[in-house]
Amino acid sequence: MSDQPREALLKRLEGMEQMPTIPVVLAPLLRYLEQPLDQLEVQQVVDLISQDKSLAAQCLHMANSPLFGRWQTVDSIRNAVVALGLQRMRDIAVSCSVLTLLPKEKTILDPVVFWEHSLGCALVCRQFARKIGFPDPAKAYLAGLLHDIGIVAHLWILPREFAATLQQAQTQHIPLHEAELATLGLTHCETGKMVAERWHLTPDLVAVVGCHHDASSATINRDLVALVALSDLLCRMEGLGYGYVEERQVNLLEQPGFDVLLGECPTLQTFDWARFTFELEAYMEEVHRLVSVLYRAQ
Amino acid sequence: MTAAPSSLARSELPSGPPDSQLVRIRDLVYQVAGIFQPDNKLRMLEDRCAKRMQVLGVSSLRDYFECLTIKPIRQAEMVSLLNEITIGETCFFRNQPQLDALRNIVITRIVEARAKLALRHLRIWSAGCSTGEEPYTLSMMMLEETAGKLKGWTFEILATDLNERSVAHCKHGTYGDYSTRNLTPHFKQKYFIARGEELVVNPEVKAHVNFSRVNLLDNARMAFMKGIDLILCCNVLIYFDVMSKRRVIQHFYNNLLPHGYLFLGHSESLYGVSEDFRLVHLPSATAYVKAEKRQVNPQVKI
Repeated sequence: MSDQPREALLKRLEGMEQMPTIPVVLAPLLRYLEQPLDQLEVQQVVDLISQDKSLAAQCLHMANSPLFGRWQTVDSIRNAVVALGLQRMRDIAVSCSVLTLLPKEKTILDPVVFWEHSLGCALVCRQFARKIGFPDPAKAYLAGLLHDIGIVAHLWILPREFAATLQQAQTQHIPLHEAELATLGLTHCETGKMVAERWHLTPDLVAVVGCHHDASSATINRDLVALVALSDLLCRMEGLGYGYVEERQVNLLEQPGFDVLLGECPTLQTFDWARFTFELEAYMEEVHRLVSVLYRAQ
Repeated sequence: MTAAPSSLARSELPSGPPDSQLVRIRDLVYQVAGIFQPDNKLRMLEDRCAKRMQVLGVSSLRDYFECLTIKPIRQAEMVSLLNEITIGETCFFRNQPQLDALRNIVITRIVEARAKLALRHLRIWSAGCSTGEEPYTLSMMMLEETAGKLKGWTFEILATDLNERSVAHCKHGTYGDYSTRNLTPHFKQKYFIARGEELVVNPEVKAHVNFSRVNLLDNARMAFMKGIDLILCCNVLIYFDVMSKRRVIQHFYNNLLPHGYLFLGHSESLYGVSEDFRLVHLPSATAYVKAEKRQVNPQVKI
């Protein structure tokens, strides 16, 4: 356990002064895109994204990735919005914005590793949602992308304590949240929930951020929480975790989220987990490539 | 903003969406054989199909799909394509994530389960061992653990194949550059004897491996393979029709101890074949364990 008790750590986290706020461009963009589709104007979205040149450049890189369905180059934000649609551009803009949240100075967690996990989880959530007939794959993407924002808070506010935690997880090959609980007395779920509430994220996203390591503890949107929990676990088992191997065996059907999700999506009963796992291999490769390009472009 | 991102080299992008005919062939191969080629391996699948198309004098993937589905040669052609897909997979330490999971997690769990039994002895079966690289790899791995997890334990590896010549090759234990390309200097020095350009498996490694010719569809022989802790059956079931697969899997179920594991080849699946086994995820690998009555523990955290 850290030499500071849990309460003292929580007090340091509460202020969150060191933590960056939700990127300036993102809040108005998200608000704008919440409106009904027929009220949206492409130019407005283009203008919002283009305000931040770095964000715009990164959005273009992502828009050209096959992960977002493009096989021919788009060379402007306008073309990207037209070709991909507003919803996908929202996904892309949010993804790029999240990548700017990490501290610029060197931290214990390689930013590339964190990006890869967040983006990989978002994509797996979206694909998993589509395959099992989950009603809102776009929401699943967003939830997958943001589920670990508590780790970002730990990197900003508790860098020394979190470094020791991650080292313990790496040495013992155990899940990060277990090491957090052992060393800090709190997990990135608890911290992430504080961040999510501070950022005024929607209640379903707050639930995902706060409960993705214990889907059974969610009281609202339990299906979305479960979907992210299973996708997150799959990513970690398939080598897209936090830069180390969790040495364990997992039966996805025995996870607490499985039954919750099964209630919402009956097709999960006959879901081909093996094929889905094999399909991820291609995702992983593209996520590594894309994040490497984005990192260079930052 | 009109300029294309400068660092986005065209060469970094895939050349185009997957060919829909190729995706159809990929899905057919998975449905029939249970082996899957993810999107990043479709180029390889296309090359393999091209080879077969050249042999058959077929000019389009659409026509080749017909060769695999409605032409009289379809069964033989599927076997030929599967041979192309799995070609070159035979070597020592072929699937490193699978072997790491086996050594770091599975052996530990088996030893824990076995500790309740009196006999400190492991029985591993390489079913369809081809020319022997897999069972010898397992033997070396287990020997490495005899000072660690397997201290005080003995082990044996049953290695079987249908092909008499393969079994003879196994017993000989002599391998060239291609088979030994993944061997580290440590393993080469410790477990092999150099003979000219080739490497011969040393007697210590051989002593733990028993080779024999077994047809996996031979009910009488299969019934004798009892008390197994771990079965590896890689790229073998893909050649069987679904009824034969089910028969073999039923045997495997009976052959394995309750804590037993079944490992298949890379990207190989039992989906639609058997409900007797459950897929489990290990780091960058999958395996099958015997299915039990489901007991969902709400306290288990993800």
